[in-house]
Amino acid sequence: MKRFIVKLLVFLSPILILAVGMELLLRCVDNSYKYKSTYMKTRGGSINTLIMGSSHSFYGIDPDYLSGDAFNLSHPSQTLEFDEKLILKYENQLTSLKTLYLPISMFTLYGRLEDSVENWRENNYSLYYGIHTGYGLGQYIELFARKFKINVGILYAYYLKGEQDLVCSRLGWGIAYSPGKMRDLELTADDAVRRHTNFNIHSPKYREIFEENVATLKRIISWADKRNVKVILLTLPAYKTYRENPHLNSEVVERTIETAESVARTFGNCDYLNLYDSDSFTIADFYDADHLNHDGAEKLTRILNKYNSDKENNN
Amino acid sequence: MLFNTIDFAIFLPIVFILYWFVTNRSLRLQNFMLVVASYVFYGWWDWRFLSLILFSTVVDYLVGRRLKRVTAPCKRRLLLWTSIVVNLGFLGFFKYYNFFLDNFLRAFTFFGFEIQANSLNVILPVGISFYTFQTLSYTIDVYRRKLEPTDDFIEFAAFVSFFPQLVAGPIERATNLLPQFYRKREFKYEDAVDGLRQILWGLFKKVVIADQCAIFANQIFDQYSSFGGSTLLLGALFFTFQIYGDFSGYSDIAIGTARLFGFKLMRNFAFPYFSRDIAEFWRRWHISLSTWFRDYLYIPLGGSRGGTWMKIRNTFIIFIVSGFWHGANWTFIVWGTLNAIYFMPLMLTKNNRKNLDTVASGKLLPGFREAVSMLITFALTVFAWIFFRAESMAHAFGYIGRLFSASIMARPSFSNMRTALVVLILCAIMFLVEWIGREGQYALERFGLRWVRPFRYAMYYTLVLAIFWFGGTDQQFIYFQF
Repeated sequence: MKRFIVKLLVFLSPILILAVGMELLLRCVDNSYKYKSTYMKTRGGSINTLIMGSSHSFYGIDPDYLSGDAFNLSHPSQTLEFDEKLILKYENQLTSLKTLYLPISMFTLYGRLEDSVENWRENNYSLYYGIHTGYGLGQYIELFARKFKINVGILYAYYLKGEQDLVCSRLGWGIAYSPGKMRDLELTADDAVRRHTNFNIHSPKYREIFEENVATLKRIISWADKRNVKVILLTLPAYKTYRENPHLNSEVVERTIETAESVARTFGNCDYLNLYDSDSFTIADFYDADHLNHDGAEKLTRILNKYNSDKENNN
Repeated sequence: MLFNTIDFAIFLPIVFILYWFVTNRSLRLQNFMLVVASYVFYGWWDWRFLSLILFSTVVDYLVGRRLKRVTAPCKRRLLLWTSIVVNLGFLGFFKYYNFFLDNFLRAFTFFGFEIQANSLNVILPVGISFYTFQTLSYTIDVYRRKLEPTDDFIEFAAFVSFFPQLVAGPIERATNLLPQFYRKREFKYEDAVDGLRQILWGLFKKVVIADQCAIFANQIFDQYSSFGGSTLLLGALFFTFQIYGDFSGYSDIAIGTARLFGFKLMRNFAFPYFSRDIAEFWRRWHISLSTWFRDYLYIPLGGSRGGTWMKIRNTFIIFIVSGFWHGANWTFIVWGTLNAIYFMPLMLTKNNRKNLDTVASGKLLPGFREAVSMLITFALTVFAWIFFRAESMAHAFGYIGRLFSASIMARPSFSNMRTALVVLILCAIMFLVEWIGREGQYALERFGLRWVRPFRYAMYYTLVLAIFWFGGTDQQFIYFQF
């Protein structure tokens, strides 16, 4: 027995040393979750406009082009469930909040982070925001928070290439999608459309997810209503390879848009702005089929700013 | 608790230490500790269903004890049927209630009767089919007087709930596993090291092969209508590798884990994809279930003793029940029937016991005939898996219809083709290692043992690194749902 344990420990020791070393190094890496959490704690009280949502808004809305104190609190794959959790987490800090942007993408009402391949991102909310959704070690230890190869990639990029993980601007906008980095708009459309819409919306599972998400959406809007905060539901532009993709499930698109319109009509503090097939965006504005690049983000944010000031002027 | 999680990586050493260092002075205490550990292991998933295992354990323990004292045949039969009804009743309710209800309603509707009935939102308890069959084997063997029933409830509870094989087998026979709880287990260095090697290989098959293949199999099966024939063929192949890596990987981890505690579980897989005919495939795939059906269903039905029609009937019954055991869906029944059809020519020509040895034993490569036979058997298996994987019959037929179209000659096309190629290369490496190690109990049993230590350790570290690299998805084992 002694021989077995000694040999096993000798065998495992390089692995344990590697694990401890990686954990220590990972804790020193800056990322957008860490940055945004600190920002919300220290400057949450000054924010007038808050942008929630997934990668679409993370890369698509640049608060620098919005009037007042705006901040982008979105993260890739962030669902309505986590939008709500974040808002409630910082509700005491958000004393100056006037406008809340909630993006409604084609997966927003049918997506749940725990079911997706990106579910490891739940751990980021636990590690950096203190929003615990389970009891796994990944909720407390960086090494277990995400896949090993992702951790290796983060360490390689941060320590060897000098790049930050999930870089964002000082106001929380994702800056990785510069115009020179455009991806294939056909291939990315195929992939995204399948991921976002290829399911049966009438199946019990998706009916349940849909109902949960609509309920969450309504709770957020009610929360905002009580605080006199204007909510703008927003469907961001998608390139035509996405919109006209033969695999796009039109039922998902129609149901999503109908629901957003209906919710906006129900609440007095809520508008729905649908830019899904807006003519204002050209191929030069897209990073891939459903994400805007820097130019697209600037264009979109200026449209949003104008929409808000027009509304204010009319009132 | 899943074998491929950090939770289990922490749980296992704790149980190991308690087992060998704290409770080792008393056999009863050691068995009790195994029961507690097994209940924690199972309760990690959903503690509410522990009551089902406990109830099943109590019923079969009491039935066993009564069978020891009762001699009247009708009373013995009544006791046996009590156990069967209770165990299969639970299984039937949790697994098949909605299936039967839906089909009855459809049948009535077909004949013009409109009946309203609500299906239940029943959660299927993990591994219910496995532990139900295991406890049934105890009652049946005691009834047949093949096994002396135990008076010790702890021993029996440990047998029913033994955590390494509780949720996905091997489905142990009481005659093999139960007596191992009666006697003191000795720690054997060679067994423990071999057990760790088997766990390592099992994890590799699960995490590196099955979970990676699952990404592509799921993508292609879920969205089959948007792919061409060649891509669908690749999807079927990915699922073929996935289900093997997943289930045989689980069995390897289970058997290896049991060996760390001084137990020897039955073999569950014997390199089935190297089979030369379907009969050989079924002797090598999910051995514990095949032999369970053979001993407790096929032989009582008359086995191969009757005439040709009797043999045909019994074979179809076995395969159809086996298919239905996997899930409450017509796809599993068709999968079972298809395998029975594959089996028929071999049985009718009395060639079903032709290939009992290991293929190309003692040789590096198979002969031409052997290679062709293996390829044909493999192709038949891949085709049958389409039904197994499909969510409905319409899905299966839709998939097959598109598969056998002109587009089967086109170049496969789907997202992440490069990653898919890497996964296929990994599958090829796995099968190469399995081919080299096919005469052992598992692939890594003898593989690399004669290498100098640095090379051997380098191989082990490579496997560990691959597991870490591809791990982190915490994917369920497919057979948990059965």
